[in-house]
Amino acid sequence: MNLTLTEILFFVLSAITIISGALVIFSRNPVYSVLYLIVTFFAIAGHYILLNAQFLAAVHVIVYAGAIMVLFLFVIMMLNLNETTEPKTALWSKFAAVIAGLTFLPLLVGALKTSEAVVMTQPQNSDIGLVKTLGQVLFTDYLVPFELSSVLFLSAMVGAVLLGKKSTEETN
Amino acid sequence: MSAIQIIPIEWYLTLSAILFGMGALGVMYRKNAIILLMCIEMMLNAVNLSLVAFSAHHSDPGAQVFVFFIMAVAAAEVAVGLAILIMLYRNTGTTDVEVLNRMKW
Amino acid sequence: MKAILVLTSLGIISLLAEIFRFRRALYPIVILGLMGAIATTVSYWWYDDGDFAKYFGGMINFEDSSVIFSTIIISTGLLWFLMSDTFFNKENPRTDLVALVLFAMVGAVILTCYTNMAMLFLGVEILSIPLYVLAGSRKDSLSSNEAAFKYFIMGAFASAFLLFGIALVYGATGSFNLGVIGQVVEAKKEVLPGFFMVGVLMLVVSLLFKVSAAPFHFWAPDVYQGAPTHVTAFMSTIVKTAAIVAILRLFLSVVFDDITSFWMPVILVCVGITFVVSNVSAAVQNNVKRMLAYSSISHAGFLLLAVGAFNAYSAKAIVFYTAAYSVGSILAFAVLTNVIKDHTGGPVESFNGLGKKNPFMALVMTIALLSLAGIPPTAGFFGKYYVFNAALQAGHVWLVILGIIGSLIGVYYYFRIIIAMYFKDANEEASVEPSKQHQLVMFVTAVIIIVLGLLPDLILGIGSAAEVVAAK
Repeated sequence: MNLTLTEILFFVLSAITIISGALVIFSRNPVYSVLYLIVTFFAIAGHYILLNAQFLAAVHVIVYAGAIMVLFLFVIMMLNLNETTEPKTALWSKFAAVIAGLTFLPLLVGALKTSEAVVMTQPQNSDIGLVKTLGQVLFTDYLVPFELSSVLFLSAMVGAVLLGKKSTEETN
Repeated sequence: MSAIQIIPIEWYLTLSAILFGMGALGVMYRKNAIILLMCIEMMLNAVNLSLVAFSAHHSDPGAQVFVFFIMAVAAAEVAVGLAILIMLYRNTGTTDVEVLNRMKW
Repeated sequence: MKAILVLTSLGIISLLAEIFRFRRALYPIVILGLMGAIATTVSYWWYDDGDFAKYFGGMINFEDSSVIFSTIIISTGLLWFLMSDTFFNKENPRTDLVALVLFAMVGAVILTCYTNMAMLFLGVEILSIPLYVLAGSRKDSLSSNEAAFKYFIMGAFASAFLLFGIALVYGATGSFNLGVIGQVVEAKKEVLPGFFMVGVLMLVVSLLFKVSAAPFHFWAPDVYQGAPTHVTAFMSTIVKTAAIVAILRLFLSVVFDDITSFWMPVILVCVGITFVVSNVSAAVQNNVKRMLAYSSISHAGFLLLAVGAFNAYSAKAIVFYTAAYSVGSILAFAVLTNVIKDHTGGPVESFNGLGKKNPFMALVMTIALLSLAGIPPTAGFFGKYYVFNAALQAGHVWLVILGIIGSLIGVYYYFRIIIAMYFKDANEEASVEPSKQHQLVMFVTAVIIIVLGLLPDLILGIGSAAEVVAAK
């Protein structure tokens, strides 16, 4: 069987995603976990580009690899957690974790025997990932959630400051 | 030319289900709080991947906008989660979730 | 919608109060603002529902059921603010805590009126994120830290499931809009792909997590006990109401009504487990706060039983039950905060001799506990009656029997407190005297409970309008 370039790229990216994802879970050292997670994120960004979601891929790299993972690294460094001090996981909880992982087997089966119900209804349009299209949708249909997400950010900001600052003045 | 015309949607769904399952497994398996947070990030990314695949499949930009919201919420969640973690570390000197058994079921 | 704006502005005002130094004036401003929010919400009762879909891009629709549940949520919030002046120190308030509570209420109101999956997700998150912080707001207490962390991990985990469910439902139907999803489901019931069912299942599970029904309740007792008592009161009233309304809008409307045979058994099994687990666990607790936590799980079971009944009586029963339960809980927690100062709760013996030390508080606590136990002539009795009625109409006889057994166990553990108050001798502790404001809250809530118990038709007539018309 001869694979097209797209298929080869898909398989390579998927392999990177899954292997580095597994390494995130099984690394003993949190710093390695962060680095493998960044690799996973880049692989996912590759998938986005394959799927013609170019703007999303850029935002994904900037937000996840650029901001969130730096935050993680910062906390790990600040708390000096880069040693493997974690105790062994108890046997029963390993067992529970495997059971939980197996719960997704039905999902996989369900995904694989998808019927033809989800045929593509609309003609393929390669422009949907462009900034122009996304901006138009975001600021018309999704304007209400866009505005309300500001409440979310405000409360996250207030909350992070509240929890993070040293308690000096409060009396209760 | 989008990959969705060549690669069946089932493959993307399988990939994101595997990623989601690994994240869920990590949340239960690991005892280090900071790695729990990373596993939750991984689960959210699995969702994002499936949404982008479906978006290309349906030719609908709505799902990609939804992914923006997920990213925004993930960032907010991480900020609060790490603040809780730091608070916990100040009081206990560890990020091991095993210390959190003061109250019994 | 105006309620969302009013609550958001109140939150921002309370943040500004810190900068512009009018913190002392903040508490009255918030109380007045909440009253204004209730008034604007109620005024929507006479509005035409059709306008909203036009103006807000099909994201929210403030129909009759939204008006009712928003009013219940904001009124509970008002009562909560009146009983919680000690939580953020009324004279010199912690403005950040006030703002977080108000933002959480914004999320709760969104959950009463969403018509789009994006709003469901954002509502859940806006409700949850401030609460993770509030649960941990006693930074020096390890149990508060523990509560915050457990709540955060479980909440984020459940959110991930919610999102995956949304993604799969979107993949099968091609829309986030509840109305469109409902139409597609109705039209293509037979040919929907397998992963659609998995998605619906994940939505059910994640919302059961949020409403803390067994077997997804394991985080709740620890979180409820470890969090500051006022935050526990908030979580077990407003958050629970908002979560059950979210379930109601998603499952008891046109969205998934064509595939009830698929998600209904899950909810019914969870109801059965909830009745058994929560009541048995509550009966063996000696810590009052933890006992109330388990009792709030059992009340979630009753609310879900009304959802599981899935008939014309469900919405009515849920309106009455949430109102009765919220008021009763607020009253019980108001007394609890005055009797037990330790924020992780205390043994039942703390209530010994309260009937002699402070007859007023003992009386209102008795009313609250009778209402929670479901004994006439209190509001809780009619709440349970309507839920059981709805369930019997739907033929869930076994669940009703389990519910009645659970209520009987409930009578046992609620009466332990009443017996301690009236028939045990007081410890040597000094007498407890609640402030005037707390007395007022206790009096008002007790009167509401009795009035609703004597004249249930007052709210029931409104409740029949609560059926979710849902998304057009």
